[in-house]
Amino acid sequence: MSAKQTLTTLIMALVLIAMGSVVAAADMPDQVSLDTMVKYFDSVEFDHAMHTELGEDCSACHHHTTGTGTSDERCISCHAESEAVADVSCRSCHVAARFSADQINIVSSNVYLYHIDKPGLKAAYHWSCVSCHEQMDGPTGCQDCHARTPEGDALYREDVSGSPIAEATEH
Amino acid sequence: MKNLIGWGVKPVDSHVNEKNDKPWSLKEKLFLGLTPGQYLGQALRNPFNWILGIIFAVGLPLIAYRYLFGLGAVTHASNDYPWGLFLGFGLFVMVPLSASGFLLGTTVEIFGRHDFEPIERLALLNGLLGYFFAVVYLLVDLGQPWRLPYPMFVSFGPAAVLFLVAWHVATYLSVQVAEVSVAFFEWIGWLGGKRFIRRIAIGLTVSGIILSTLHQGALGALFNYAPGKVHPLWYSAPFQWIHFFCSAIPAGLCMVIVVSTVVKKTMAWRCDSNFSDNLDRCTLGLAKGASMALITYLVIKFIGVAHDNEWGYLATGWGAWFLLEMAVGVVLPIILFAYAVRHQVVKLARLGAIITVFGIALNRLNTALIAFNWQLYQEIPHVFEVIVCVTIFAIYVVVYRFLLYRLPILYSWKALPQEALAAEAVKAAPIRSTGTPAGAMYRKID
Amino acid sequence: MSGISRRRFLAASVAGCAATTLAGPRKVLASATFTGYPDGMGVLVDLTRCVGCRSCEAACNKEQKLPAPDRPFDDMSVFDETFHGGKQKRRPDENAYTVVNRYNPENAAPVYRKVQCNHCNEPACLSSCFVNAYTKTEEGAVVYNSKVCVGCRTCMVACPFHVPAYSYSSALDPVIKKCIFCYDTRLKKGLPPACVDICPQEALTFGKRKDLIKIGHQRIETHPGRYVDHLYGEKELGGTSWMYLAPVAFDQVGFDPNPGNEPIISHVKDFLSTVPMVLAIWPAMFTGFHLLAKKQKGDDDHEHDAEKQHGDEGGEQ
Repeated sequence: MSAKQTLTTLIMALVLIAMGSVVAAADMPDQVSLDTMVKYFDSVEFDHAMHTELGEDCSACHHHTTGTGTSDERCISCHAESEAVADVSCRSCHVAARFSADQINIVSSNVYLYHIDKPGLKAAYHWSCVSCHEQMDGPTGCQDCHARTPEGDALYREDVSGSPIAEATEH
Repeated sequence: MKNLIGWGVKPVDSHVNEKNDKPWSLKEKLFLGLTPGQYLGQALRNPFNWILGIIFAVGLPLIAYRYLFGLGAVTHASNDYPWGLFLGFGLFVMVPLSASGFLLGTTVEIFGRHDFEPIERLALLNGLLGYFFAVVYLLVDLGQPWRLPYPMFVSFGPAAVLFLVAWHVATYLSVQVAEVSVAFFEWIGWLGGKRFIRRIAIGLTVSGIILSTLHQGALGALFNYAPGKVHPLWYSAPFQWIHFFCSAIPAGLCMVIVVSTVVKKTMAWRCDSNFSDNLDRCTLGLAKGASMALITYLVIKFIGVAHDNEWGYLATGWGAWFLLEMAVGVVLPIILFAYAVRHQVVKLARLGAIITVFGIALNRLNTALIAFNWQLYQEIPHVFEVIVCVTIFAIYVVVYRFLLYRLPILYSWKALPQEALAAEAVKAAPIRSTGTPAGAMYRKID
Repeated sequence: MSGISRRRFLAASVAGCAATTLAGPRKVLASATFTGYPDGMGVLVDLTRCVGCRSCEAACNKEQKLPAPDRPFDDMSVFDETFHGGKQKRRPDENAYTVVNRYNPENAAPVYRKVQCNHCNEPACLSSCFVNAYTKTEEGAVVYNSKVCVGCRTCMVACPFHVPAYSYSSALDPVIKKCIFCYDTRLKKGLPPACVDICPQEALTFGKRKDLIKIGHQRIETHPGRYVDHLYGEKELGGTSWMYLAPVAFDQVGFDPNPGNEPIISHVKDFLSTVPMVLAIWPAMFTGFHLLAKKQKGDDDHEHDAEKQHGDEGGEQ
């Protein structure tokens, strides 16, 4: 290539990269620390940037909240034209304290509420993440994503040693 | 004992020692008029007591072990089979076998069949001891036996069938104690007590019938709480309590026949002629009653099968077991009793009675243990449970024997002349004629 | 009547009747039509969501201060344990109020099932207890009072789900051990039970029982083919507070498929109704028999002949 062609290619590449970065940098975090419910397990250091390259579009995890529409049959009838929402984080919609008295009363008393069976935050994470990991050979074990805290070790009674499994004859 | 009597020793049967005209002391009465040495001698010579000794040597420490270390130490601690032999045998078998109390009480006092009086007291004692030891078995089985009075005084669950059982057994025990106390009062010489009880005898007997009907039935109704757990051939939703009540009748009557046979063979010296001479006749009479109840029971069991359309189950393994229980425990005794009564063969009646007792026991064990949880694994009771059951039964036999040796159950107590005169003044209990010239003097005064 | 005048007797009776009627309206709970307290809570157990992580067992153990288990709660080899000759899987016992078992239905993925007290609307344990040790609370929990329990274990016989366990190992204070819906520590305060709280898959959905029925049916509708079209516990045995959704037939995952819709107490009501009848009828009937059997010779009802006693073999019945 001539020097002029090389320079043009270089400038175009830079512009494209810049554009791409601008698009990518629009409120999209590279790393998210999922730490809303740290107690028995540590926070999950979620590589958001890596995951955005895997899915077709954002709706794979964010439903229709990023304004990209939805292809899920169960959702289309109401959300085909839904626009983007301000906060697309999981926890903005999926409540951590799913079974608090307030939440239960909302479900119980709001007769116009369709989504009476919306999972809480913990289930939303697990369903969303693990289902895909199972298909794509990602991490599926508990501690593969979040290490257990010492409190967690105590909960699961790691201090107890088990005997080799044998068919018990007496209960 | 037979030997001692052969040597001229006469066991206590009246207030006064005929040899020296002095009243027997309580201690002498307890030793049957023997010296302690003689008493111990005859006890040690008795081979049955050696067997009892072995049983107690093993069983009594085991019972202590149960209380020290909890039920888990002597049972399989099963959460699927919470009731084992202590209740399966001790309660569910002992209670119907003790139905003799209200049955003979009704026969003699209500229906006026005084020809059964010679065995009435034995039947009453059988009933009392059976229920008393059912409670003893219960105290071994309950997790917290010291809380036994709770359903009576502390916390009531009146909708529960067991509440009824608890109250009725407690009340019925009192009724039976009162009924047997007549013999006791004769023995210790408190005629006032005896007269009082005799005055309320009808009331006591009617109470006994009411209470017995209900709690014999209630023991069956307990299984209505577990309709899916008892095999359909042993469970009938509407009739369970009727089946249990009806089968309690032959159970009680046959238990009297069995006990009287044992008594006749092992304690003949204690039986007076009133008892011995009438025993065969009474036995056949009881056999007649038992056979009628058994026929009824057979019919209502098959009505139960028909009602729930369970004929298909008869072709299964469980069905074969059911038919065996019916054939050996119900049909065979009916045949034996029929022949025995027709041809006056008392031995066959006795054979039929012992088979019936085992048949009823089998039915209760089937309902409570064997055919219970029939869709789960089969549970075999822990060997310690068996030992404890046998031990408590041995204690029951010992107490039974103790009382039969002493109280005027198998023999008539000879009243003093002044007591006979006092009895003239009030409506008194029948003092049974012994047939001897001396006895004729004490014949019942109106 | 001596000792009491007719007037006084009448006055006392009227006063007694008035007192009874004015004592205030008694709460009449018609059993077998009781569909639970209106705001009673419940839990929907979705067997398509459970992955057998046993976190619920761990959380229960901690919350109820239960003893240490034989194996840690993340040890999955317990799913292979069987008892009594291979016929029995794990069940709740005195040291574990809830267990998770794995089932391998034919032609389907393994299904994990959490077992615990189902907190029935008309509990068999409560109906059968003669010291009233059980209470169905307004919040929906069936709780147990160990202070009055005698240890008769009838409740264990009565429970159609084989739930209550007994602390046979204790000599001085053996009591029933079962899930109490975390009543004391959480339910009373409006909090979900420990197992629900910790479940990472939300296999356990906590809420008002009436709402859970709606949610359960909605789930079946919106996920055709995922569930067997039945909400187990909605009607069974009078209705339970803990209800189940399953991907395969319920008898393949350890349930009794046909326990009936009648609460257990309805099986004993007929007998219990007989009791007052017997108490009322037997006295007159048997006194009547007695009077009929008495010979018409004055007042004597204990007459017997000496002759009849002896040697009259077989002639008489």
